This record gives sequence, structure tokens and C-alpha cells, in this order.
Amino acid sequence: MKNRLAFPRIRLDLTRWQASGQQFLAYSRFLLPASVLLVFLTVIAVGWFTQPDSYVRGYAPEQPIPYSHRLHAGTLRIPCQYCHSGAALSRQAGIPSVQKCMNCHSLTKTDSPHIRKLASLIASGEPMKWKRVHNLPDYAYFDHRPHVTAGILCQTCHGEIQTMEVVSQHMSMRMANCLGCHREPKDALPADSGIKRGPEHCNACHR
Amino acid sequence: MDDPIFIKNEGQHSLRYRSLKEWIGQTQGDPAATGSFDEFSPAAFDPVGMPVETLSRRRFLSLLSASATLALGTSACSRIDRETIVPYTRRPEEIIPGVANYYASTFREGLITQGVLVKTREGRPIHVEGNPEHPLGMGKTSLRSVADLLGLYDPDRLRGPSRAGTRTTWEEAGREIVRTLRTARDSRSAVLLLTDAVVSPTQNALIQDLKNTLPNLHHAAWEPAAPHAEMSATKALFGEAVLGRMRLDRADVIVAFEADFLGSEGNDAALIRDFAARRSISGPADTMNRLWVFEGRMSLTGANADHRIPVRPSRIAPLIFALAGHLNQKLGVALPTGLNAQSLSPFALEAVVADSAIEPALLRSLCDDLKRAGRSALAIAGPALTQEAHTACQLLNAMLGAEGYAVDASMSLPVRDLLTYAGIQDLFEEAAAGKFAVAVFWGTNPAYSCPQASVWKAAAAKIPFKIRIGLYEDETALDCGWRLPEHHWLEAWGDFECSADVLSLRQPAMGAIHNTRQGEDILLSWLRGLGTNTRQTYLEYIKARWEREVYPAGSLVPFPAYWNAALHDGVVLREAKPRPGRNPRPEALTEALERSAAALKKAPASIELVLHPAASVYDGRYANNGWLAELPDPVTKATWGNPLLLSVSDAARLQLKDEDQVRITAGSASLDVPVIIQPGQAPGVASLSLGYGRSAGNVAAGVGNNAYVLAETSAAAPLICAIARIERTGGRRPVPRTQDHFRMEGRDLARTRTLSEFAHDVAHSDTGKGHELQSLIPPQQFPEHRWGMAIDLSACIGCSACVIACQSENSIPVVGPERIIEGREMHWIRVDRYYEGDPANPKVIHQPVTCQHCENAPCEIVCPVNATTHSPDGLNQMSYNRCVGTRYCSNNCPYKVRRFNFFDYTSMKKQPENLAFNPEVTVRPRGVMEKCTFCIQRIDDGRQRANSEGRRLRDGEILPACAVACPAQAIVFGDLNDPRSKVAAASRLGRGYHMLEDLGVKPAVTYLADISNPVSGKGKA
Repeated sequence: MKNRLAFPRIRLDLTRWQASGQQFLAYSRFLLPASVLLVFLTVIAVGWFTQPDSYVRGYAPEQPIPYSHRLHAGTLRIPCQYCHSGAALSRQAGIPSVQKCMNCHSLTKTDSPHIRKLASLIASGEPMKWKRVHNLPDYAYFDHRPHVTAGILCQTCHGEIQTMEVVSQHMSMRMANCLGCHREPKDALPADSGIKRGPEHCNACHR
Repeated sequence: MDDPIFIKNEGQHSLRYRSLKEWIGQTQGDPAATGSFDEFSPAAFDPVGMPVETLSRRRFLSLLSASATLALGTSACSRIDRETIVPYTRRPEEIIPGVANYYASTFREGLITQGVLVKTREGRPIHVEGNPEHPLGMGKTSLRSVADLLGLYDPDRLRGPSRAGTRTTWEEAGREIVRTLRTARDSRSAVLLLTDAVVSPTQNALIQDLKNTLPNLHHAAWEPAAPHAEMSATKALFGEAVLGRMRLDRADVIVAFEADFLGSEGNDAALIRDFAARRSISGPADTMNRLWVFEGRMSLTGANADHRIPVRPSRIAPLIFALAGHLNQKLGVALPTGLNAQSLSPFALEAVVADSAIEPALLRSLCDDLKRAGRSALAIAGPALTQEAHTACQLLNAMLGAEGYAVDASMSLPVRDLLTYAGIQDLFEEAAAGKFAVAVFWGTNPAYSCPQASVWKAAAAKIPFKIRIGLYEDETALDCGWRLPEHHWLEAWGDFECSADVLSLRQPAMGAIHNTRQGEDILLSWLRGLGTNTRQTYLEYIKARWEREVYPAGSLVPFPAYWNAALHDGVVLREAKPRPGRNPRPEALTEALERSAAALKKAPASIELVLHPAASVYDGRYANNGWLAELPDPVTKATWGNPLLLSVSDAARLQLKDEDQVRITAGSASLDVPVIIQPGQAPGVASLSLGYGRSAGNVAAGVGNNAYVLAETSAAAPLICAIARIERTGGRRPVPRTQDHFRMEGRDLARTRTLSEFAHDVAHSDTGKGHELQSLIPPQQFPEHRWGMAIDLSACIGCSACVIACQSENSIPVVGPERIIEGREMHWIRVDRYYEGDPANPKVIHQPVTCQHCENAPCEIVCPVNATTHSPDGLNQMSYNRCVGTRYCSNNCPYKVRRFNFFDYTSMKKQPENLAFNPEVTVRPRGVMEKCTFCIQRIDDGRQRANSEGRRLRDGEILPACAVACPAQAIVFGDLNDPRSKVAAASRLGRGYHMLEDLGVKPAVTYLADISNPVSGKGKA
């Protein structure tokens, strides 16, 4: 007996390893599919939560002066293009200059702190920094002119602004919104419009 | 309607070459040497053989930082990024945000003025075009006026007054300077006022007022590139320096003697327009003008000649006299009264022919041509030549009757005195003797352009009080104590006399960006400080003078309304009595003949060096302009520097190759320059551009060499000097050139015929074009508009104004010399230049190449992300936001018109350069492909405007920037679907063809073949 084990033999206890290896292999079957699933879910989640529909629609930032469209455009029925006069003339409809506000407010409600702020801006020449609600990426060159010329109401894209105390974004203004209407204008165009659809080629908006 | 003639240059196109490398390969039958792949041969990559003097990385970054990089990366990507939106507080009533306003103004360079329209957006200029109301320019302007927009926004401009490096205030500067001037007046010390050429009558009046207040004021004007010799010749011949206007619209035969009137020396868009109008024909029955050019260096004008004869500049004056003699003796053209025919006898045609190796039959043809044209002939001599040469040229014009018709001085005004090269030398020697107590340097840059730096230094050292009024802290400013920054012309007021009957106004298109003052306002403040009762501002000064002297007496319109109308148009026409016809003084003629005969006896130098203003940076004033620094020279296609051009025979004799560095010595000065072998250069003639080698300005510093040092101030022709020695210094200096880029391997691209060949083709109506190419792809439908372009190679002279206009309109970045060497220039439109024939005197063809907007575009089908598509109105569209930078489209493009942003050329924000961007065009980041869009922003804007106004588009209402800028009207743009449009008519012309037609890509650009007009039977010279 003694002779058989003359030299201590290093015996790799493979059985133990084999057992944990098998356990490892057992888990590893799920490793790849699990990670693929995880990446996929991450992509889906990121894609879901960064869709403009989810965070852009309803965006209603607080403005430095609580200007109410409900009062001015709704009750007082001031036409949109009185203030946003660029709509028919330029790519940008524009925000009215402080001077435009003072057209009326040099006489009306002059005691209000907000109007006094406007008056001080006129005097000092400092700019009025509104919070921008509707914004498109720089590579999309939207032009208001054809839409206004075609007779499309401002409310079609901007919602019922004349009911809003604080302007909120009604349409997420993704390319799908634009293209969908261009393909099927439905009620967007007035009844007597001769236009069938809008342009669908890239250059219409992208340069 | 013509049957389309298939104009092909059978067998000729194999002789067409872009560079001598290509020519050598072709003639030696070694295709490997010509192929564009020779730059990929192992030798090219041999690190040992790589050029030593490359630009360092730091240098490149500093180049990037200047006008090269227009700032503002877009921050468009994040939709969560919420911004403020800021309207005007008080909106100026003429500004509608998003709509451009145009203001008429005037650009001045040397003696030339151009009427311009400045396109502004939200109160800042973004583009410059010609003013259609201007009777001389008629809507065309020079390319440098377009490029100088960048000078307005140059970050290297001085931003406030300083004294010896420390900032100061205008009040402080005014006080000190007025005190010094008062002291000078009281002590009767001389005050020097050195300015640019004065072409403004009101500025002249102001200087006169200053002279009245400061009796010892000495005013001199220094323009290094001005036609000094022509002025002195004219003065001697006619009594006053009244330069006749070149009426190229009236000229049937034009002979130019070392005169680059189409290129760097003229750069008056009106000349190009009038010349090209007589070359663009619709059928062989039309008449064309004929251009003969005698010159030493290969200039742009020579490149457009019907007959070009290389001849040394020193032999030009005798040549012209010989022509005059021949006209008189053999063809019976009378000499001017008082001139003895004997005095022409030393100049025999045979002697000239022997001397310069010119074919005598050619000269006789020229004389026949000139006699036949009579008063419709026009002889032009270049500014670099001697006074005798100019006198000879005037003699020719007088003999032919052109004086008074093709040379029209009836409405010209005398040119106010300008310093010659000898004159400025004398002035500075006087200064070095202590003559002046105070010196004011306004605009002009003598520290750079005065040939002998030592003379300047000595003068500057002896003037105790020096003031610099200028835009930059340039070479002159560094030697001056007071540096007063002035307005850029786009921020300034002014008026100019273009001729006796045309006054042109300048108005600011923008408020001052920096704390600068208009130069004239600075002078007015001194006048007031010295006690003179004068206006508060220069604007009031101009208005007062206009009310006194220009406003028509008895006008029903009150002056303020008149003034506003004048500003609106930018130009005012008034009644002026035409000058009477003039006859040359025989004494002046005789004297010139005698001097010329004496000069004949002198042996010419072995190599004559012609110095000339660069086509891009002119005399150096635009050296800091990135667009101009990168503009390929129209003939050499070199950028970022001034190589020495040698003729083929001289280079062979001296055993020099392209880009070898040599040291040239002329007189006492020497320069180390790289060599370029220039086909067409006359043997014994070398040439070098002025305007480089500046030391001030981030873009200009270290680019090229200052060639002014070689000018011989006391010579009869200072800008033509004798090279004493050319020696190799060893090493190579790379010259960034675009001539070999986007080569198309000898295919038949730029077609040319002579007029007689064209007539023959039409008569024998070879409709080889008849066969329609079969295509697998169904033809596209273009229901509404189909935008197309026609480029007339007959009209195109190759000036590259289109390149600059495109760069300005589309915010195309400047990439720097290293990228140019790699072939990565970003110009969306390029002007290819081809040589044809013997390199000793080849024919030159220019061809502007834009994106061809192919109907079956090879680029569209290979884009993996569909970033480039075809629009229903015929454009190949580019969506930058989709592009991922595969570059497959560029690979597939047969015309190689696509440009890739290999680096972020526009990322470095450097105020105020970002103001030059066009808000209607995307600023492209790195990794994105770009190309000509036919100015989609203009097409869209035009369409929407017509739509809003409820009307159809008019032909010519929408024009891309290149078409507007082209002074030759070579680019025609419009709706191919409209049969009455100009472009549809041009596309149907017999001369029309498409490039690479056999590929079946159906380009929207039609080229009209170049028709040349040599004397029948002579072919091309």
C-alpha cells in the first residue's frame, strides 16, 4: 500500500471543478440572451422616453411676463398676424417686438407691473427674453409662408392658442406630423383650396 | 431651332492636359506617369522624400482659427434643449426677421469702383452682389468685392484705438493728435498725409480743407498696383492724365500687350462683361471679337486669347512701334499730324520678328485685322510696361481711329496724382532727412509695399509722430505710435466719381462692429480741434457738399428726398459735357520713339521678371482673407502663396522641376521661392505675384513671399526687373495647387472649336448626338419646374468669381494649404483649367464644374442611408442630417463634385466671423458630405415669394449665387420646363453638350462649347 503512493501526486480535483463549471455553464446559457434582451430593452426604453410626443406635447414653460393669449387672441380677438406679422412674409412668424406691445400698452393698463417692465425695456433698449415653446432642429427649414398662403389656420398646428393662458405645445412637430398632413391634408386646407397635397421631397424642408 | 451638333474633339482630347506631369506622360506614352494614381506610387509615400517645409500643426490651427473657420456648431440635436427666443425691443420698420434687405453701396479698390448691393439679414451683411442700377457695372461686380465681406468680420481687425500697444480712447487720441498738429502748424513743420488713391470727390474736398487749415500739409497717394506709366504717358501725350475708358462693347479686334485686363490688373467686372458679350454666339453667323495677346507671362487674358504670342516685355514697345510703322507704310494708315514717318524707321517688323522669334505672317494678319477694324480696334498696354510702351499703344489707337471710340475718354476724369515707385522712394528719403514732424498713413501700407525696407525704416525713424489709420495692426501700424482703427467700407459712408456723369454712393450696411471710426470722421475731428468750423460727421459733410454741388438747381424734389433716393439707387447720373476729342502731341510721340530706339540697343536680361498683383489678394491688402488666400489662381491653380513661374525652356535649361526651391536675385534683393513651370510663359520671362509675404494677420502671416522687394524703383518699368541669378537652394517647397485634383483622365469634357470649324459643323450638320441612350431606369417626371443650368464656355474667362460667390453664399469653409495638397478643398464650384497643344504656347480652356444634378444620379443610388435623393424639380438633394459619412456617393460621382468634411472646419467659435454665415444654409459639421445645391435656399425663397404674391415665377427671378456673380454672364439658370426660359434656349443651342454624356446620367447642366476666333486657316496660335 505504501508503495503505491510514493510521491504525493497532485490530483486536480476535477470533480469539484466540474461541478462548479457545470453550474457556470448552466448559468452561461442565459448570459447571452439576457444581455441581448437587456440591450434591446434599453434601446426601446431610451427610444420611448425620448420621443417628442412624450415630453414635448404639453410643454408649457413659464414666461417672464404672464402674457395671456386667452385674453388677447381670445377675448379681445386680436388677429394672430397682428403680432406674429412675419407669418405671411417670412420663414419665421416671429415674436412681436416690445414696441408692438406698447402700441396699445403705452395707454392701456400702464399701472400693471408687467407693463411697467415692458416700458422699462423700451426705455433701456434691453431685450425681452421669452421662453421658446415651438422649436425645430436647425436642419429643418420650415417656412410659414406657403402654409399661411394656403389658408391653413394657425390653430391646425399650434392648437387652440386663443384658449391658452400659458402657451403649450399642442403638436409634437415631428417629421411624421408634417409629412402626414402633406400626404393627407384632410381638413387642414380650406374647402375651396386647389391644393391637393404638400411637397414630400427632402428639399422642401431640409437643405 | 438648331439641330444639336455633336461637338466632339475627335482625337484632340487626348492632347488635353491639366499639368505638365500629365503632358509629359502623354507624350512619352507612359500612362502610369499621367494617371491620377501616380501620387499613390510608392515614391510619393517615401518618408525620406517628403517635403521638408510643411506647415506645422500649430500654424495650421492658427490658419483655421481665422477667417477660415466660421463658428457656431449647431446645437440642434437635442430636443430637450429649450432656448429663449428674443425679438427686437424696437424693431426697425424695414427689418422683417427672416427677410433679407439689400442696400446699395460702392466698393473701391485702387482706381476702380464697383457698384454693389449688400444683402443683409437682421442688420448684418451676409453677401455682396452687383448693383443692377449702376450704368457701368450693370449688376456685375468684381470678385474681390464679394470676398471682402469676410474682411468686415475679420477677427484680426483692430478693435479700438491704441498707442504703442496700449489701449486708449478716442478722446485721448484726439486730444494728443490735435495738440501735435497745432504745434506743427505753429512751428510750420511739414505734415505728411499718405493715403490710397483718392477717387472720392468729397474725400478730396476734406483733404483740401485740411490743407487749408494746415498749410504745411503734404498729401501724397500711394497705390503700388496703379497704372503709373499709363498715367504719365497720357499726361505727356494729351496734357492731362485722363485715362480713356476701354469700350470692349465696341471693340471688334482687341490687342493686349502684357495687359491682364480680364484678370488681376483689371478686375473691373464691366470689362469682363463687355468682352464676354462679344464672344457668346448662338450660331456661326454671329460675329465675335478677336483677341490678340502679346505677353511674357501667361496671364488670364492670354489664356482667353484667340492668338497669343509670347514675347519678352522689354521687346513690346519696339513691337508696337513696328506695327504702327507697318500699318503706315504698307497699309496706308495715316500717322497723327506732326509725326514724322522717319521716326518709326528704327522699328522694322522684320527686325522685331527676328528678335522675338515671331511668325511674320501672324503680325501681318494682326495689322490687316486692325486696319479692317479701324475705330473698332482697341490696343491695350499693361500697367507694368514702360511709358514708351503706353505711348506706342496710344499711337496705335490714334492711328486706327479707336481713340474717341473704342477708347472713350469723353466722360473720364483726370486721375489725381499718384506716387510712382521712384516718387515714394524720394518721399521717404526726404522723410529720412527729417522733413516731416508728423505723418499720417491712412489705408495704404508702405511698410509692406515700399520695395526697400531700409528706406522705409529710415523714414519711419526720423518722423517723431506717426499715426496709422487702418483696419489692421499691419506692418505700417507696427511702426506707428498711434493706431486708429477705421470702419470697413461696409460700415462707412462715401461717394465716388466713376466718371464725369456717374456718381456712386456708399452707405453703411451695418453699424460699426468694433470701436472704430470712419477715417474721414477722424480727419473732421482734427479739423474741429484745430479750430475750423466744419461738420460733426462725415455724413453731414457729404450731404452738405452734395446739396451745394450735386443736387440739381431748381429741382422740384426737396433735398432730403433726393438724397434718400440717391442712397436707395446707390448711383446718380448727371449731365456732363463730354470732353472734346484729343490728338496726341507729336513731341511726346517723337520723344518716346527716340527713347525706345535707344532702349533697343540694350541687350535684354537673360530672364526678365514680371511682378504683378495677384488675382486673389491683389496688391496684398486682402492677404488676411481666407477665401482669397485659398482661391486657386485662375491660370496656375496655385493657392496659399506665390510661386515663381518659369517657362518650360528656362526650367529645362536651369534643370529645375516643379516645387524646387530657388533663390532669385534681382538688383540688391533676393527671395527664396518655389518654382512652378508654366506652359505658355515666354522664354526668358519669369513672373511672381505681389501681395504675399505679409507678416501681419493670422491668415496672411508667413504665406508666400513679399515680391515687392524685387521691384526696381528707379527703372522705367519698376515691376519688370532683371533677374541677376537663379540658384537652387536645395529642398522642395510644396505649392498647394488644385490643378491636378478631380482629374478626369483625358475624357472629352471641355470642348472647343474655332469659328470656322463650327460653321463647317453646322453646314454639315453632324447629328451624331441623335442616338438616345437606352436606360433601365424609367425617366423621372418633373411636373412643375425642372431646374437646369447652361454654362457657356465661350463666355467664361476663368476668373473664378463664381467660386467666391458660392463660398460666400453657402458658408463654405476654408481648409488651409495642407488640406489643399491632399485634394480636400471644399469649393462647391471649381473652375477646371485645361491646356491643349504645345506647352511652349498652349491653348487654355476654362470650365466651371458644379454638381451636375444628374437625373440618374450615380450618387443617389449608393447612399446607404438615403441622404441624397432627387427632388421632383430636378435637383439632387442633400440631407446633411442623414449623412453618416460613407463617402460612397463621392466615390461614384463621375464629375467628382462632392466635398466631404474630413475635419470640423467650422467648429472653432471666433466672434465675429460667425456673423458671415448665411442663416438660410446649414453649417455642415464634420463627417458630412456636401455639394452644390443650385442654391436651394434661393429657389425656395423665390418660389415662396411668388406663391405668396399669387403669381408665377418669372424667368431670371431665381438665380444661384454663381450666376449672379459671373461677370461674363456665362452661367444661365432657370426652369428647363419653361420653353421660353433662357436656359431652355441655351440648352437647345447647337453648341450645347453634356459632360460624359455616354454614362447616361442625364445631367441638368448643359455646357456650350467654347468657340475661338483665330484668323481663318491659322488654327490656334
